[in-house]
Amino acid sequence: MSEVIFEIRNIVKKFKKLTALDNVSTTIKSGEVVFIVGPSGSGKSTFLRCLNLLETPTSGEIIFAGKNVTGHEIGLNKFRRQVGMVFQHFNLFPNLSILKNITLAPVKTHRMSRKEANEKAFELLKRIGLYDKKDSYPSQLSGGQKQRIAIVRALAMNPDVLLFDEPTSALDPEMVGEVLSLMKELAAEGMTMVVVTHEIGFAAEVADRIIFMDQGRIIADGTPEEVIENSSNQRVKEFFSKVL
Amino acid sequence: MKYFYTFLFLLFTFLLTSCSEQEKPELIMVTNATFPPYEYVQNGRIDGIDPCIIKRIADRLGYQLKIQDMSFDSVIAAVQSGKAHVAASGITVTEERKKQVAFSIPYVIAKQVIIVPENSPIKNSTELKGKRIGVQHGTTGDLYVTEKIQNPERFTHGPLAVAALIAAKLDAVVVDSEPAEVYISQRKNLKILDEPLTYEEYAFAINRKNKELLDKFNRELQSMQKSGELKNIIDEYKSRHSANAADNKVESDTFFGKLGASFRINFIKENRYQYLLKGFFNTIHITFFSLILGIVIGFGVAIVRSTADLTGKMKLADFFCRIYLTVIRGTPVVVQLLIIYFVIFRSIDVDKIFVAIIAFGINSGAYVAEIIRSGIMSIDKGQMEAGRSLGLSYFQTMNQIILPQAFKNVLPALGNEFIVLLKETSVAGYIALDDLTKGGDIIRSQTYDAFLPLAAVALIYLIVVVCLSKLLGLLEKRLNKNE
Ligand SMILES: Nc1ncnc2c1ncn2[C@@H]1O[C@H](COP(=O)(O)OP(=O)(O)O)[C@@H](O)[C@H]1O
Ligand SMILES: [Mg+2]
Repeated sequence: MSEVIFEIRNIVKKFKKLTALDNVSTTIKSGEVVFIVGPSGSGKSTFLRCLNLLETPTSGEIIFAGKNVTGHEIGLNKFRRQVGMVFQHFNLFPNLSILKNITLAPVKTHRMSRKEANEKAFELLKRIGLYDKKDSYPSQLSGGQKQRIAIVRALAMNPDVLLFDEPTSALDPEMVGEVLSLMKELAAEGMTMVVVTHEIGFAAEVADRIIFMDQGRIIADGTPEEVIENSSNQRVKEFFSKVL
Repeated sequence: MKYFYTFLFLLFTFLLTSCSEQEKPELIMVTNATFPPYEYVQNGRIDGIDPCIIKRIADRLGYQLKIQDMSFDSVIAAVQSGKAHVAASGITVTEERKKQVAFSIPYVIAKQVIIVPENSPIKNSTELKGKRIGVQHGTTGDLYVTEKIQNPERFTHGPLAVAALIAAKLDAVVVDSEPAEVYISQRKNLKILDEPLTYEEYAFAINRKNKELLDKFNRELQSMQKSGELKNIIDEYKSRHSANAADNKVESDTFFGKLGASFRINFIKENRYQYLLKGFFNTIHITFFSLILGIVIGFGVAIVRSTADLTGKMKLADFFCRIYLTVIRGTPVVVQLLIIYFVIFRSIDVDKIFVAIIAFGINSGAYVAEIIRSGIMSIDKGQMEAGRSLGLSYFQTMNQIILPQAFKNVLPALGNEFIVLLKETSVAGYIALDDLTKGGDIIRSQTYDAFLPLAAVALIYLIVVVCLSKLLGLLEKRLNKNE
């Protein structure tokens, strides 16, 4: 049994009157690949963004590697360095070259020297076959290339966990494959991943666990077969019958 | 011709200074030497009607004369406080001043006259009411017309009022008789009405306790008046002055001949181009440093304001920034400049250029702040989230990611603000700072020509603005290469 890396206890997130997360609790273990699915507006993104405190929960606790991050047991920036995030719209920095996009955070946060950061970036770029783009700017890349660079940018910090929020939703269909295969590789290498996606087939193939959310709550949580095929919950059944 | 005057001048100076100077008691005279022909600085010496008369009196009374130049506001106070014996500065006798100092008998009676077009229906001062009357701001003519007739149209310079008269924008102009003679000597179709509008008396101011000196002065003045010496001195200086002014008259028939002559008078003669040159450097100096100050303030305020908007922190600083923006953007820059100079720095002796830099910098900062803030707010919030998700701090992300992009986006608007700033510094003349616009004004007031000095000033601004735009275009191109 591997160790618990995230322990989420009763988090609630309210936006004014609207309750986006309604008392969510779960745990994520090191090396686990957890997919979060559910209808639009069910709170998936909000949940993911609470995990690295881009959203501050209204109440509840998040324990990361034994430290209560909602209770400020560990500095916010230091905590975030260990949790990478990949966004639906990539959010690359258009004013920086690809190399600088990747090395900015490692160097500025003093995780690595510039030399180390460059070497790490070159190694990652070579791995995804985009080494020759190192001096290009984001606007010169295709969507699939951008998203793979965004993943590499997160990886360059050597995070313990990677969060993905619909990483392929903004891509043209022919580019989805290259991003998914990179994610699959990372999963196979043992990276802890939490992924929000609508790619149910991909989730079924890669996930160790699927969490199903509806109206700010987790209403199903289990292996892909348990959730996708054998759920007793009516709403879950309905959802999968529509998307599959 | 010119040599003749120089010769006359030298002869005159010789006569004035030839008397031997032994151990005599001192007589200290104060004046403000910017009022030709009464007092002015020439070749580093104070000369004019007043210094000449006082010198003659001092010689006769056995004093050694010492002349001190100071601002006009201070000459009466200097006599009153006993720092000087006599103030001789073309001082008009008024009831108000009589309470502070004693006046000698008047040595000049100055007239305020009315200039009208040749064919004007106005025959005398009683017909002025209801007409469009032009005056030079702050002069006796202005005060008189305002008090006794109606609110006149006030011009910064007499020649501008005359130009408006020629352009049929006015029905009459009220000015001092001496410049009036000069103006109409240069223009056809204008005349001076025989009957002056009002008189004023010029006299010397002496401390009220010094009855003895006052009596002596009056005795000497009376005898100079009788002998005609007084009139000679005054006529001599006036003719020299108007000859000087007549020298500025353009005499040529062809268009280019006129233009060339006018060019020589306005820019070459007496090295007048130096007023523009000095003004240009002051304008650039002020613009450059207020630009830097404006950018520093602008970035600071923009960061505080958008941090408050984005994160809800820095509420107090944000509050003060909002007050700053409201006040600065809600009031004219001239008023701000005057307040900073006359109110905030009132009792502190500071360099005017420094004051102008502070005033224009603070003013520009407000506009720069709002431009940069709009730039910051226009950046997708995913950029901040991406930076923060990588463990960068708020200010690291701001510095490395948001501001560079915001700056690039707002560069055209910033460039525009800098051009506005350059042109706005033209009001620096309000605090008697010799900027480019003021340089043109000075030339105009000496040559009584409005066209060329203004055209030159406009052209210089235009050239600077065009160069600035080009430079900004290049910068934009450079920044756009990445992306
Ligand atoms: N910043 C926000 N302000 C107000 N409401 C928000 C905000 N973010 C999300 N919401 C609301 O919270 C609910 C959950 O949103 P989200 O987590 O984005 O859902 P999902 O990712 O599952 O589509 C939605 O009703 C959404 O409108
Ligand atoms: Mg979402």
